[in-house]
Amino acid sequence: MRAMHTAATGMMAQELNVSVISNNIANMRTTGYKRQRAEFQDLLYESLRRVGSQTSDQGTMVPTGVQVGSGVKTAGTSRIMSQGTLTATDRDFDVAIRGEGFFQIELPDGRTAYTRDGSFELDANGKLVTVDGYTVDPGITIPNNASNITINSQGQITAVIGTATASTTLGQLQLVRFINKSGLEAIGDNLFLETAASGTPQQGTPGSEGFGTTLQRYLEASNVNSVTELTDLISAQRAYEMNARVITAADEMSQTTANLSR
Amino acid sequence: MENTSLIGLSRQVALRRELDVIANNLANLTTTGFKSERVLFEEYLMPVARDESFQNPDASVSYVQDRATAHDHTPGALRTTGNPLDLAIDGDAFFTVQAPDGERYQRSGSFQINSDGELVSQEGYQVLGESGPIRFEPTDTDITIASDGTISIVNATGTQTRGKLKLARFSDRNGLEKDSVSTWRTGQAAEAPLSTTRVVQGAVEQSNVQAIAQIARMMEVTRSYASLAALLKSGDDLRQDAIKTLAEVQS
Repeated sequence: MRAMHTAATGMMAQELNVSVISNNIANMRTTGYKRQRAEFQDLLYESLRRVGSQTSDQGTMVPTGVQVGSGVKTAGTSRIMSQGTLTATDRDFDVAIRGEGFFQIELPDGRTAYTRDGSFELDANGKLVTVDGYTVDPGITIPNNASNITINSQGQITAVIGTATASTTLGQLQLVRFINKSGLEAIGDNLFLETAASGTPQQGTPGSEGFGTTLQRYLEASNVNSVTELTDLISAQRAYEMNARVITAADEMSQTTANLSR
Repeated sequence: MENTSLIGLSRQVALRRELDVIANNLANLTTTGFKSERVLFEEYLMPVARDESFQNPDASVSYVQDRATAHDHTPGALRTTGNPLDLAIDGDAFFTVQAPDGERYQRSGSFQINSDGELVSQEGYQVLGESGPIRFEPTDTDITIASDGTISIVNATGTQTRGKLKLARFSDRNGLEKDSVSTWRTGQAAEAPLSTTRVVQGAVEQSNVQAIAQIARMMEVTRSYASLAALLKSGDDLRQDAIKTLAEVQS
């Protein structure tokens, strides 16, 4: 029976929905995490009686045909790239982005990844790196004797070196933005990669046209809203149950048919 | 004699198809912009040609036939998502998208921007504005979509418009044919939407399937299927009895 397979697609869709929601909830406290949403579309329709087909040679026609759909499919899990709330951390190398843009991170294999997670650290050589030790592009080295490290809203890093009275500029953080940031590919570790769908990155300094500004000693929290996630979870679970009921009903009907011949 | 089974059969076939439709509705319980469907039945009289002038006129027998699947076009509830590219229509209209083989219409408004900066549907089809596809520049920020569908952005020179969404309204909504991927196709000419039609930004229209009603309908379908089976069984018993009784030879 078709109803069984249709209901099975419904159950599979809800299963995926639940895994997307659970991933969102699991990453509720992940810095710079952007929540995902599963999008569904209906599946192919079988036209048993085509709408608009003629019913007589007088030109009368079928006003509404018989079309039976065959379930649901996942169209995509789109990422909602809205701004997360900023939380104060009081660490010198925590940088949040207010507005558009991503930090560029150099991966060990030479590729460039992009992230909104600005919880940076210094490595043994004083280079600005991510928590995984990957270099933040462009490479910025903070000398050993630097103090009063300041990152301003334009991404400029200044510090007082040694006993000097004036501060020295040590580097400039660059941001990139994409025309379709939802098209970025997530590779885990809060990192994204450029894809054909995202478009090529456009580089700029924070605060310039279209780019967000940087904020030192703050981190961007995830944009997951626990209330919406939980209500979504409940409705996904109910939808799953209802599809399961359809399978039972289809099964009952098949059983009735089978019992006919006894 | 065969009529009982044949009539019962016609109803069972129709019921099975109705369950298929219910299953599809429930499978699409969370599909954005999905419209619930229901099967319409009609009586089909047999024999079509008969003559009343006979002394014992032919008794007409009515079968069941599923005539149409009607789409329930009542609006679904709006769910706020906060995503600027999620749009919903409050009113009787459809978004127009450009599929490879012509214009398609859809109620689902969860759109994206592709790598060329064009506003596209989940399927990657361009969303059409009144003067062609809608394209954004990399420097555009703060996309705002007004309730009449006008899209405006902010860039260095200030606020600019990037087109106006092409909304389509059809006088005969039931004449629309369901395509796959949540779109509709039709040969009808699209009309301009009513002035009360509004585009809501940051929300999507949920499917209008009423789960409770569908489950209740499903129970009804299974029950009538079972009672029909009982009817068929008694028809069969009757025939068996007749054969047995008639074939009994008096000794």
